[in-house]
Amino acid sequence: MRTIPGLLVLLPTLLFADEVYLQGGAKFTGRIEAQTETMVTVNIGDGVVGVPMSRVERIVKGRSPLDEYEERARRLGPDDADGWRSLGRWASQQGLSAQSRQAYKNVMTVAPDDAESRQALGYVLHEGRWLTEEESYRAKGYVQYDGEWMTPSEAQQARAGAAADQARQDAERRANLAEAERIQAEARAEKAEERAREAEERDTWGQPVYWGGWGYGMTVWPSANSLSVNPVNRP
Amino acid sequence: MAPAPAAPTTSTAPATPSAAAAPSPTVEEIVARHVAWRGGLKKIRAIQTLREQGRVSAGADRQGVVTRERKRPNQSRFEFTVQGVTSVFVSDGQRGWKMSPFDGDTAPGPLADEVVAEAAEQADIEGPLVDWQAKGHKVELDGRESVGGRETYKLKMTLKSGGVRYEYLDVKTLERVRTDSTRQVRGRAVQIETTYGDYRKSGGVRFPHLIDVEAVGRPQRLHVVVDTIEINPPLSDERFRLPSQAKH
Repeated sequence: MRTIPGLLVLLPTLLFADEVYLQGGAKFTGRIEAQTETMVTVNIGDGVVGVPMSRVERIVKGRSPLDEYEERARRLGPDDADGWRSLGRWASQQGLSAQSRQAYKNVMTVAPDDAESRQALGYVLHEGRWLTEEESYRAKGYVQYDGEWMTPSEAQQARAGAAADQARQDAERRANLAEAERIQAEARAEKAEERAREAEERDTWGQPVYWGGWGYGMTVWPSANSLSVNPVNRP
Repeated sequence: MAPAPAAPTTSTAPATPSAAAAPSPTVEEIVARHVAWRGGLKKIRAIQTLREQGRVSAGADRQGVVTRERKRPNQSRFEFTVQGVTSVFVSDGQRGWKMSPFDGDTAPGPLADEVVAEAAEQADIEGPLVDWQAKGHKVELDGRESVGGRETYKLKMTLKSGGVRYEYLDVKTLERVRTDSTRQVRGRAVQIETTYGDYRKSGGVRFPHLIDVEAVGRPQRLHVVVDTIEINPPLSDERFRLPSQAKH
């Protein structure tokens, strides 16, 4: 069991399967672990989320894909690569990324070079070697800028654009501010550059999502860590 | 990878010798044949509401379940479920709201303007090429281009909103093969190529069941598989209405 801010992550073992609808239409599907007058906590299979009851519109008891996953997983032996592969594929189709990942990892313990499992876990076959997704991007010449992978020329353009924006803002400031303020502006610019450098190196943002005309709204691929950064059970 | 949208060429200068043998059809003729290929105007106009459900994958560990609902006029609702958590994005074409627990939302909040614009484009159930003149869009034939080994008509479409996209329609079948557009992602303009496949009829109208989205110069891909399409399901206006909690 591990604990991260806003989320308690543990192996799901409970028997309930519920859907917790929030006012406004968002929904948590999983198992209720506890429910009080003020809070309901739901195990979503990749963590436990606390939801204020004041935000809950209704709770529908039912069987969740997580239950089916666990039932099927219980019937599989540790060496049943075909069974785990099939279960991993099914979990992926249900949007159960954590369960899919676990199933494919089980395949790889008995079949380390299983292509489907490797690919599902993000490995890419490059010149006869399995590389991680990140390694494959680097091998293909992509670079990371501001949390996004892109071609070096695009990164250069983005960097130049950011620098130009910063320079333009600085110029406006210099034109309008007194000498003392100008010094302050330089200090701010230095900090901005520092932040830009940090942004280039950081990997805290999820991968951007480009919808391209089918779907919209979610701009970054979410993860359970998103919920720890933005805990639902905040006051 | 296909090139980014290019500057228009003249529609009277065919790109291939074979094309030179036959005069280029007009935009109106191309669009009319495309609409007929989809199933015809009558069947397209009979669709009042639409629900599409499917799966989306953006690579390893990034799989989700998606539902898109649309209702005339200009209403859309998009639900995105990852690991049992469903986020909701809704627009009536003028404004929109979202509720994304992954963003820490426990109450509806407003959609960003650029997302409302994106939603408004998708809310057009029949697609922007149908009755494009009446909708205030502008369409020009921008020559021909090979897309995935298929010769296509390249149509430059300037939407009423001002957005520009390029539609690639197979010269033989008039099937829509690809759309190129530009979107703002984290403050940067990104060229998006959306490729369509596995067309199947629902309610007599062809819909793509495979949608691949590629950002030019980026390694990530988005792959959408549409499993079910419901024509004219009952969708109450309530599903698209701004909840009273939304802060506008």
